[in-house]
Amino acid sequence: MTAVEKTSPLPVRPRRGRTGGGLGPLLLRRLRDGVITLVLVVAIIFILAHVVGDPALVYAPIDATDEEIERIARNFGLDRPFHERFGSYFADVFTGDFGESMWQQRPALQAVGEALPDTVQLTLVGIVGAAVFGIIGGILAGSRPGSLFDRGSNFLSVTALSVPNFWLGLLLIVVFAVQFGIFPTSGRIGPSSIVLPALTIAIVHGGRIFQLVRSATVEEMSKPYVRVARSKGFPHRRVLWGHVLRNTGLTTATIAGWEYVRLWGGAVFAIEYVFAWPGIGTLTINAAHRQDFFVLQAAVIIAGAFVIVANLIVDLLYRVIDNRIKAS
Amino acid sequence: MSTPLLEVRDLCVSFATRDGVVRAVDGLSFSVDAGEALGIVGESGSGKTVSSLSILRLFGLFDDVTLSGEILFEGRDLLRISEAELSRIRGGKIGMVFQDPLTSLNPVMPVGEQVAESIRFHTGATRPQARKRAIELLDRVGIPDAAKRCDELPHSFSGGMRQRVMVAIAIACEPKLLIADEPSTALDVTVQAQILLLLDELRRELGIALIMITHDFGVVAATVDRVLVMYAAQPMEYCTIEHLFDRANHPYTEGLLRLVPRLDHRMGGRLRPIEGQPPALTEEISGCPFAPRCGLAEERCHNDRPPLVRLGPHHESACWLATERAARLTTPGRPWETPS
Repeated sequence: MTAVEKTSPLPVRPRRGRTGGGLGPLLLRRLRDGVITLVLVVAIIFILAHVVGDPALVYAPIDATDEEIERIARNFGLDRPFHERFGSYFADVFTGDFGESMWQQRPALQAVGEALPDTVQLTLVGIVGAAVFGIIGGILAGSRPGSLFDRGSNFLSVTALSVPNFWLGLLLIVVFAVQFGIFPTSGRIGPSSIVLPALTIAIVHGGRIFQLVRSATVEEMSKPYVRVARSKGFPHRRVLWGHVLRNTGLTTATIAGWEYVRLWGGAVFAIEYVFAWPGIGTLTINAAHRQDFFVLQAAVIIAGAFVIVANLIVDLLYRVIDNRIKAS
Repeated sequence: MSTPLLEVRDLCVSFATRDGVVRAVDGLSFSVDAGEALGIVGESGSGKTVSSLSILRLFGLFDDVTLSGEILFEGRDLLRISEAELSRIRGGKIGMVFQDPLTSLNPVMPVGEQVAESIRFHTGATRPQARKRAIELLDRVGIPDAAKRCDELPHSFSGGMRQRVMVAIAIACEPKLLIADEPSTALDVTVQAQILLLLDELRRELGIALIMITHDFGVVAATVDRVLVMYAAQPMEYCTIEHLFDRANHPYTEGLLRLVPRLDHRMGGRLRPIEGQPPALTEEISGCPFAPRCGLAEERCHNDRPPLVRLGPHHESACWLATERAARLTTPGRPWETPS
């Protein structure tokens, strides 16, 4: 039985912002979940850092005596019991004090803050490229499934998303930087430096977006209302733009949003490292190598917070727009 | 004699599927005059919906269709004109009402706009003009408070109301022909009657020809002039509505009529279902497709496909025994009252 039978002749007045469980409670629920996740991230990072290695040992010179190491440990407060250190670290983090970088001799937060804009820039340029490839391609392919374009682009996208991103990055460096010398191999020298890392993101994540958008389009195209639109005489393009995309638009935007979040969840780290892009990924990996725990912790926690917040925004936007569509 | 509005000649439709070629329509011919109503009756899978979709070539994205025959509409063969020419006819000269009103409307577009966009496309009317006309149409098909409700999305309408909107879309550009594919099947019984009544009214009022596709003889009796009975992709019998109830010739038609429950039937009388199942359409059928289930089947029925025997100016039956049965007049008056 379908429960859509509303025979009331009175216009049903939608209650804005309260459909679908309510936006306010949802926001609170999500914020609570976000905070819990973040606490877990902090805890796991801290435990890992103190199980994997002893920061004092890394910081000490190779020929340091036990006494010297002990002194260094005392300097960093590493001689206190584990729970005490964890407690104070926890308190510090939530007041915005992420400790001092042992390697760079400055606040860890400052190092992360410096790297953050570069990563934001790279991920944004990359995701825009990915969205252009994925959304346009996915719509065109999905609206004519089985066509030559569909089969060709589908093959390309599967290839693109199956290739490891760092390998693709290296390949692009070899071809475009080493062979043809069009773009710099790595680092951040000028505006052209962003092209290859952003292209890597665009290809890999564009492939994923393509797949999702394509299947959303195919599914939508087989709905009965599409046949009705065709029975009105509309040509393919008009059916697609006037009817189908109105319905898939929101899903598509969400797909791109989630893909952006995924990027922050790790993909950008490897790509940055391959291209020596001075962002948070490179910073994190270097910090891990040098066992620069405070920077590592700060970077991971801030990237984690970014993922949580971005996820929340995507989700809420989806709800808001969805409600508006249903309510209008 | 004037040429009919729509004339279908020897239509064959087959789909290439994973399980082989499915012959969904096999040798179908019929015609509809201007203002006339034709019913196409058959059980699910008999090819009636496919026949109706063939007229406007509205197959699905994944359908691998092969069509042959002719579909002449106002002298032009719809199977052979270009997609662009066909798009003037779809929604313009031929309107269509589909089976499931709940999913047939675009969920994110106001219903008025869904009517108006068709008007704009076919007549070149401006937005306000089309909107005004859409409101008139919604009012005509019985949407209460149409001027206000035309800005609402489909989900705030009931199934019956949505089907009314669908009817408004179908008649928006004053078509010559309306194809209704089981327009009432998905609706409540009381609402079904309202929709059928509405279609019948509109047809008479606007002089539209109607093709009513259904599996329900009640619907046929209420709305159409002539009936085409289909079974397993093939036409079985083609006759006027009077002939159908008084002089049904084909054993299949007779079997179907026996299945119509009657309120005036004496109590205790039992419905007698037709034994067996329709054949799979992937298999080659050499004889009459109904032969395996037909109590009267002879050897030739199993081996050779019966011709469409002409029994009168408006009566054809695809049965080897058609002439004999017509002479015997086996079913005077009420075929469903079976001798006990």
